[in-house]
Amino acid sequence: MKNLQKTYEVTQKVERLFEVTVTQTDFWEAVLYISTQTEFNTLSQIACADWIEEEHFLLTYILTTDARDKNLMLKLTLGREYESMPSVMTLFPQAEVMERDLHEMYGIGFEGNETLYDFVLEQWHDLPPLRREFDTLAFVHEHFAFKGGREDNKDVKVEQKRRREEAKKQKALEAAKQEAKKQETEKQETEKPKEPNTHATDAEETQDKKPDTKEAEDGQ
Amino acid sequence: MDSKLIKIFHGPQHPGITGNMSVELDLLGETIKYARTHVGYLHRGFEKLVERRTVIQAFTIVCRICVPEPDPNEENFARAVEGLAGIEISERAKYIRVMVQEMSRLAAQMLWMGGQSGSIGMGTVGQWSLFDRDLMLDLFEELTGGRVYHMYTYPGGVRRDLPEGFLLRLSELLDYLEKKLPKYDSIFFDNATFKKRAIGTGVVPKEEALKNGYVGQTLRGCGIRRDLRKDNPYLVYDKLDFDIPVFDGGDVYSRALVRRGEMRESIKILRQVIAQMPAEGAIMQKLPKHRKFTLPKEDIYVATESARGEFGYYMAGDGTEHIRRMQVKGPSLIHGFTLLEKMLIDEELSNVAMIMNSLGICPPEIER
Repeated sequence: MKNLQKTYEVTQKVERLFEVTVTQTDFWEAVLYISTQTEFNTLSQIACADWIEEEHFLLTYILTTDARDKNLMLKLTLGREYESMPSVMTLFPQAEVMERDLHEMYGIGFEGNETLYDFVLEQWHDLPPLRREFDTLAFVHEHFAFKGGREDNKDVKVEQKRRREEAKKQKALEAAKQEAKKQETEKQETEKPKEPNTHATDAEETQDKKPDTKEAEDGQ
Repeated sequence: MDSKLIKIFHGPQHPGITGNMSVELDLLGETIKYARTHVGYLHRGFEKLVERRTVIQAFTIVCRICVPEPDPNEENFARAVEGLAGIEISERAKYIRVMVQEMSRLAAQMLWMGGQSGSIGMGTVGQWSLFDRDLMLDLFEELTGGRVYHMYTYPGGVRRDLPEGFLLRLSELLDYLEKKLPKYDSIFFDNATFKKRAIGTGVVPKEEALKNGYVGQTLRGCGIRRDLRKDNPYLVYDKLDFDIPVFDGGDVYSRALVRRGEMRESIKILRQVIAQMPAEGAIMQKLPKHRKFTLPKEDIYVATESARGEFGYYMAGDGTEHIRRMQVKGPSLIHGFTLLEKMLIDEELSNVAMIMNSLGICPPEIER
């Protein structure tokens, strides 16, 4: 740590995590020095973030110690125009697969790494997919067909609006039907003859019928 | 290529492969002369998906990066967000998270035992261990609502408090497992067939283990005592008393013995968590509203010791509610390529499945 602090400006980010920033031209010298002269002699990860608005990638080599008690983020910016970096495979054999990954996902070249062939993607000729300008939705529309009849196939807001309107129409239709029914009943009620007369006739009829049924039962 | 060599693909559809990946092998008789790992069969683009999502939206998919043990992913994600947003979690939440990590470790080791024994034709062990794993998954289901993917460890703490009597039920399960583990010794770890197959197979040279960035049992099986829970402690691991099992052989058997010891240590840790966990306290910090949960333009690296070794997350915020970049490095990336391709040379074809299981290679975290 003392060696590192003497040579580079070290910032502590959080507990046990440090940061050193170098330029692209100084990178090889720095990584060689850090891996051989300081305790950070193992590579854990090579991370890359695409800062498209600032027109560069931020490459972060995460180095760790033999004791695994501290981590160092060795950072540098790299142009986005398919630029190259020196490979660190000779210092850390595990970098081979990490560089293959970054080459495929961002299009970064690594001089000295001869295994930059297909990693996860197969025969990919499109834009490297983790670059920010890669439009996932456009790619999906271009390469895949949506199965019809699925709700998630449609724009949710349009679908919600359509549903709301449909529900409103349905409600209005129901209300109109109810209204018509109500009017119909009212109309029928007004057109009907007066109730007392009807009841009187009914009562007379039942009275007339009762003895007949009795007679019939006796006959049986 | 030598005309006597036969090329075969071990996977992706093969019972002896640890997930959807393939190893291209050139064989001279039954001896492997060349090995190359192929991945890409289940690339789901998690890292790309996360760039378009807010914190809570990203949280729902990070656990899916690793099926056998999703919890280290949740823990890494939560700690990375907390580190960027400057959130400090409560003591009780830390204990609950340690409990989840250790429960997950036990479940993952049980699953590994099934795979490792299955790879040499010992089916019974797998049936036992998967049954015991299910008992742990029952507890996970009670705690989180999910058996495999828990979505429980969220930035700021954990999502739900412990159900009533949960610690008692966990304690009972630990009693049961403590009684069961010696039975695994007699059926599996002390089994003559396993010993004969595993001792001297898949040897990792000690001198290259640290330098090449190997992690987990691969290191500890070479006699190198490294464990992030001790070396770079997080949560409350520095308050807990546990040991790191180490064996010298560097082979499949040593790695198995390391795992055997770790299961006992996890039980020990869980017992301490049950005893020490504060009974009261917030489980979740007050967080900004979903759409206002922004991360500053900063980056961070966090790492968790999973059941198979160091799981690292690099995360960068950009001042908006989206995550600019989340890069995952699981233990399988180095073990599945740098180590496996080298280790398989001059091994027998029949040992490939056993070696892959022993290294704990899991393709989803390679092609995340």
